[in-house]
Amino acid sequence: MQQPAPVSEPAPEPALAPAPAPAPIQSAAVASLMDGARADVAAGRLANAAASLERALRIEPRNARLWQELARVRLKQGEYAQAESVAARSNSWAGSDNRLRAENWRLIAQAREARGDAAGARAALEAAERQQ
Amino acid sequence: MSRRRKSWRYVRYALLSVALLAAGFTLYLDFRVRSEFEGRRFALPARIYARPLELHAGLRVSQASILEELRQAGYRTARREGETGWFVREHDGLEIALRPFAFWDGPRPARRIHVAFENGTVTSVRDARGRDLPLVRLEPLPIGGFYPANNEDRVLVRLAEVPKHLVQALLATEDRNFHSHHGVDPRGIARALVSFLRGRGLQGGSTLTQQLVKNFFLTPERTVRRKVTELFMAVLLELHYDKNEILETYLNEIYLGQDRDRAIHGIGLASLHYFGKQVEYLTLAESALLVGMVKGPAWYDPYRHPRRALERRNLVLRQTRSLGYATMEQYSTARAASIGVKPKAPVGTSPHPAFLQLVHRQLRRDYDEADLRSEGLRVFTTLDPRVQRAAERVVERKLAQYDKGKRFGPPGLEAAIVVTDTQTGEVQALIGGRDARYSGFNRALDAARPVGSLLKPVVYLTALAEPSRYTLVTPIDDAPFVWKSRGAPDWQPQNYDKTFHGAVQLRTALAQSYNAATARLGTEIGVERVLSTMKRLGIERELKPYAATLLGAVELSPIEVAQMYQTIASAGFRVPLRAIREVTTQDGRPLRRYPLEVKQALSAGPTYLLTAAMQGVVREGTARSLVKWLPPESAVAGKTGTTDEQRDAWFAGFTGDRLAVVWLGYDDNRAAKLSGAAAALPLWGELMASLHPEPLALPRPEGIENVLIDPQSGLRADWACSDALELPFAQGSAPVERAPCASALGVTVEEVKQEAKSWLERLFGR
Repeated sequence: MQQPAPVSEPAPEPALAPAPAPAPIQSAAVASLMDGARADVAAGRLANAAASLERALRIEPRNARLWQELARVRLKQGEYAQAESVAARSNSWAGSDNRLRAENWRLIAQAREARGDAAGARAALEAAERQQ
Repeated sequence: MSRRRKSWRYVRYALLSVALLAAGFTLYLDFRVRSEFEGRRFALPARIYARPLELHAGLRVSQASILEELRQAGYRTARREGETGWFVREHDGLEIALRPFAFWDGPRPARRIHVAFENGTVTSVRDARGRDLPLVRLEPLPIGGFYPANNEDRVLVRLAEVPKHLVQALLATEDRNFHSHHGVDPRGIARALVSFLRGRGLQGGSTLTQQLVKNFFLTPERTVRRKVTELFMAVLLELHYDKNEILETYLNEIYLGQDRDRAIHGIGLASLHYFGKQVEYLTLAESALLVGMVKGPAWYDPYRHPRRALERRNLVLRQTRSLGYATMEQYSTARAASIGVKPKAPVGTSPHPAFLQLVHRQLRRDYDEADLRSEGLRVFTTLDPRVQRAAERVVERKLAQYDKGKRFGPPGLEAAIVVTDTQTGEVQALIGGRDARYSGFNRALDAARPVGSLLKPVVYLTALAEPSRYTLVTPIDDAPFVWKSRGAPDWQPQNYDKTFHGAVQLRTALAQSYNAATARLGTEIGVERVLSTMKRLGIERELKPYAATLLGAVELSPIEVAQMYQTIASAGFRVPLRAIREVTTQDGRPLRRYPLEVKQALSAGPTYLLTAAMQGVVREGTARSLVKWLPPESAVAGKTGTTDEQRDAWFAGFTGDRLAVVWLGYDDNRAAKLSGAAAALPLWGELMASLHPEPLALPRPEGIENVLIDPQSGLRADWACSDALELPFAQGSAPVERAPCASALGVTVEEVKQEAKSWLERLFGR
């Protein structure tokens, strides 16, 4: 409610506090953990990468990008069901960041594809299209 | 044959038999010594750690709670150059000399850091040269172990790690001729004999080897036979093993005191226990104190008998000096040193036994009991000591208050609490009963109690999944309700206030916890479907599809309730509650990780709508007294629960970062004057308030819109309605009809705002 409000408007009691910004400012701590996770992925240390991302999520649990990175690692680990769920969790924090959502749907599509769910994968790709 | 020759033969036979017997005995002992010493591996307990505190700029934590954590970890409040494990206050924060620690993902070397604070927040973490560090882990607090028989605890050390002066002090005191004797020391025995003849009692005379044999193989009784066996075995041990092997084993075996029910064995654990440091950092004075305790750990206990322990230490120092193992200068420095033991934080086998039971249960799925008690596993858990202590304090304080005020029946009220992280499902604290140190019956895990109204959110969640039939404002009839089913007595739920309220909005029926309305709603949608929602929320117990289930005639443990509410708190994603993060071997090799797992169990929309309704419970319903502890901005979502005849009082709810379930009741199911709101809620409120919760602010999922509603009529409101409420609805499901208070013009707030904006723009030319 940034616009000037009409004088007579009562302040409505919000049912829920205003939703937080979709991507919170990333702290240096989270950034360093993310860097570490990327290095671990590059070196094939996937369990360590996942552990670092979980550490980061304990610091910024609402950071949709962290959830997405975790989904990506789970996909690489061959944990397809988890990859899909974690990408969906990322979507629930994505707010209005449509590009992030689209990327999550693409991850979901890959996970479904890998599990042999072609129809589901197609549906996810369509969902990704709709985000843009 | 002459008589003489005959008797000579008898003597020879007798001698031969004795020799054979002796040889057999020796062989037997030799076998025992070798097989047992060779195959001997010290059983090492699994060691359990709390979560490590992660320090970074922006962390909301007070300096006081970091100080408490450091003290718990045995850090000293004084600068000790060249050592680790201390901290000092600086003008804007703390300087900390961190000890080295082997984390799951690798070792962290010792390092010096500076942490600055402002208004309960960490503003910077820097290294010794002033460079910013993004993230530093404090070492996690040890919170107990799973111990071998007799609760023997030890930390193994290599001889090379043990300071030379410790070994010298030990030899000077216990066994001067260790390096020259063959297991038995005739000179030592002679000395003991002289001392005995002089009337100083039977003492000493045992070599280290004999002492080791005694501890290892023999029972403690004092008989000649046992003494002879001991001598034989000591000699045999020396035949097979070199002095260093014997010395190293001795140093790891020796009993050095008691910490409640935990036995302190070995020099490695003793140096941690008494001085909070690794054995290699022990000074001469500290070494002498430990050596002095060998003779009688209880008699020379430095905590209980500091004067006696100090005199004994100085005697050890004198003997060390007299054998030339210490220079005069070293000797006088050591003698002048204070006793130096760290402030005692008695731990016993664990300070938080209830949480350890949960850890044990989760570990038992993957490990054998024997392995847990002997392999020295290191287990990194999710326990947050700060949250755990806060929960313990709240239970202690509130229950004492309740006992005293006699508000809730006779004394002896019991409690259970589960606190979790809403996003990761990590269990941060667990209370299994009012005595937090008692390790018996764990009510949080094992007390299945009727949950009463705690189950109502499941009914409403099931309803809200059908937005075409039910919204937050759908009228529900709270009139007398009778449920007839074949072979069962009629079911006629009563309301808590013994009155019926007619047509009420769905959100109000939940907020006020109306039984008749909920029963009607639940039977309308079907008990089976409500049970299926419960399953999806994470309840694994088989539940009977009785109508009474709708009002909580279901027995669940607090941790099951926590699992159920966890799924609601994490937006319909089921996150299994976890108490363990990682397990490593004793030398730090990772064995197993327990990763964060999520599974979408319910769609985001209905879960969001339910959360809004549960916020209504706190804002205007049965839990409105929570405002005494937390301001309305916290926007807590929760539900009270009270069972028949007020046997159980529950409150379950969540903020932006934590979920907690509180149960109160009597073990014998006694009817007490307990209600969720009056008895359980105050504990919840006090606990959460002390943890400075994040407000609950959830992003609105796709397909949900907020609409202004007139709270009285449940119809669409606008700017003209003075107390309009913004409520979420599945797109297109909000009421179309306008409330009486709405402006006759029929414009929405958005339209008015838009108009006002363009009017202002025109006016100011912007």
